[in-house]
Amino acid sequence: MRVRVIGVGTPHGDDAAGLALAARLQAAGLPEGVRVVSCQRPGVDLPDVLAGADAAVLVDAMRSGRAPGSVARLAPDALPLLRSVSSHGLGVANGLALAEALGRRPRRLALVGIEGVGGEGDALSPEVRGALDVAAVLVRSLVDELLADAASGRD
Amino acid sequence: MAERRTIEVGALARVEGEGALHVAIEDGAVAELRLDIYEPPRFFEAFLRGRSVTELPDLVARICGICPVAYQMSTVHALESAFQVEVHPQVRALRRLYYAGEWLESHLLHMMFLAAPDYLGLDDGIAVARDHRAEVERALRLRALGNRILVLLGGRPVNPVGVCIGGFHRAPSRQELADLGDELRRARGEAEALLHWFRGLPVPVRPQPLELVALRHADEYPMNEGRVVSSDGLDAVAHEFDQAFEEHQVPHSTALHSRIRGRGAYLVGPLARVWLNRERLSPTARAALDSLGSRFAQPDPAASVFARGIEVLEAIDEAIRVIDAYEPPPPPPGWSPRAATGHGATEAPRGLLYISVTSDARGEVEEIRIVPPTAQNQACIEQDLRGLVPTVLDRPHDETRRACESAIRDYDPCISCSVHFLDLTVERRSPCGCG
Repeated sequence: MRVRVIGVGTPHGDDAAGLALAARLQAAGLPEGVRVVSCQRPGVDLPDVLAGADAAVLVDAMRSGRAPGSVARLAPDALPLLRSVSSHGLGVANGLALAEALGRRPRRLALVGIEGVGGEGDALSPEVRGALDVAAVLVRSLVDELLADAASGRD
Repeated sequence: MAERRTIEVGALARVEGEGALHVAIEDGAVAELRLDIYEPPRFFEAFLRGRSVTELPDLVARICGICPVAYQMSTVHALESAFQVEVHPQVRALRRLYYAGEWLESHLLHMMFLAAPDYLGLDDGIAVARDHRAEVERALRLRALGNRILVLLGGRPVNPVGVCIGGFHRAPSRQELADLGDELRRARGEAEALLHWFRGLPVPVRPQPLELVALRHADEYPMNEGRVVSSDGLDAVAHEFDQAFEEHQVPHSTALHSRIRGRGAYLVGPLARVWLNRERLSPTARAALDSLGSRFAQPDPAASVFARGIEVLEAIDEAIRVIDAYEPPPPPPGWSPRAATGHGATEAPRGLLYISVTSDARGEVEEIRIVPPTAQNQACIEQDLRGLVPTVLDRPHDETRRACESAIRDYDPCISCSVHFLDLTVERRSPCGCG
């Protein structure tokens, strides 16, 4: 079972939430078979990042109207909430659709959003910085869930 | 009574930024045509004033998510010329490698995801991936190599931070580059196969008289250095840019239009570079150009996709050449600021990017001017469309609109650079109400 945890974002204020979380999870260590990667250009790079993965947890900043710093597991139809500041309109939704067209979208995929508020320059806002612990716990539990599903043969 | 109709494209897709096209046709002739660029002004030139020149390479990288290297390169060349900084030959070579990485990324993104859907009659790159999986995977593999080069030298793929006046903050080891070199050698065949695939697609043909402008270097395919030359005999150096070109404002665009003084619109970009530097292409790239002979018999903006494919080969060959001869350079030299103006002109993926910077004696920016390629191409795009529209008016409205959009995409406009892009409105007005 190969699991990817993908932190999506760009080094701009709260849009870096996914990158910051990936760095934190990487430092903390994850179970065998789980690889943490960061992805700054999801629209085109997600197929490569997802190649060979059986399951994935994707974390990105979102703009959903929730309170700043809220952490939520999102349903696949909530994809447009993941903040796309990419050029040419190539965001996470595009990247996942491209991965699917290329047969690289894993059957098990969980999405996690962290509500952004802005942030200044390269720095995360205090709200998002304060949300990283909660987000890390949620991602760990999703990873455990994916591993348990695989172990028990559930879909 | 005159028949008047209007074509409106309210929001152009698959271009970078926000813009629109408005065309009014009267008695079958184009009465009015505007490439509206309504991207809000970004004021980079204003808010960079007063910043330290040492911050500039990182700050200008934020102008564009697709071509940050170009902004960094034109800026450091301008500053190095202002402060008389000598650049080590290996730094010069590394900069060519860095630029090759950006060309690979930008060209492959455009060819496969922005342009190919037009030739295949598909909506987007995802549909192309569904129908032509092997080709899309090939383009992604090639593009990933460009990405690796950018990360190696720039530190990160978005808003890279590796460049400083005189060199790079960190020079890669020989081993880091050697691994990449092996992969690039294997990629050459893939790039040839990709170009071959594009040759088989129904790419439009739209030859027209055009003044082409690009850098030309004594013996290299141009990236960072060379004279600014044109197909009609212009020959200038970077600091003569203002004597050769003029910028002017038009009401429908938040980006300035450019023209050659005393003449008019001109084209910058891969087509102009290939055209003006054929004999400086690598043997592989040159062979690819020769095999496309008829597409390069006359300037044709629609053939830009082939020029990009040729430059993908050129970028791979150049990257291999730099890597094979690489020795890590010494740390960047010391330098002192002085009150001076420097000029830099380098070849962004979309064409010539001119930047001039005036520093004060303490190294604070007094003035910076940025003339991006898409801004320079605006007048040329409008001229091209004025010729195209009458030839496609008899088609159903959607097809007319699509032909216009596709023609605009031939220029791979980057509107967020030029300020951002495209809504197309094609209005067909007629008194009889038939339009």
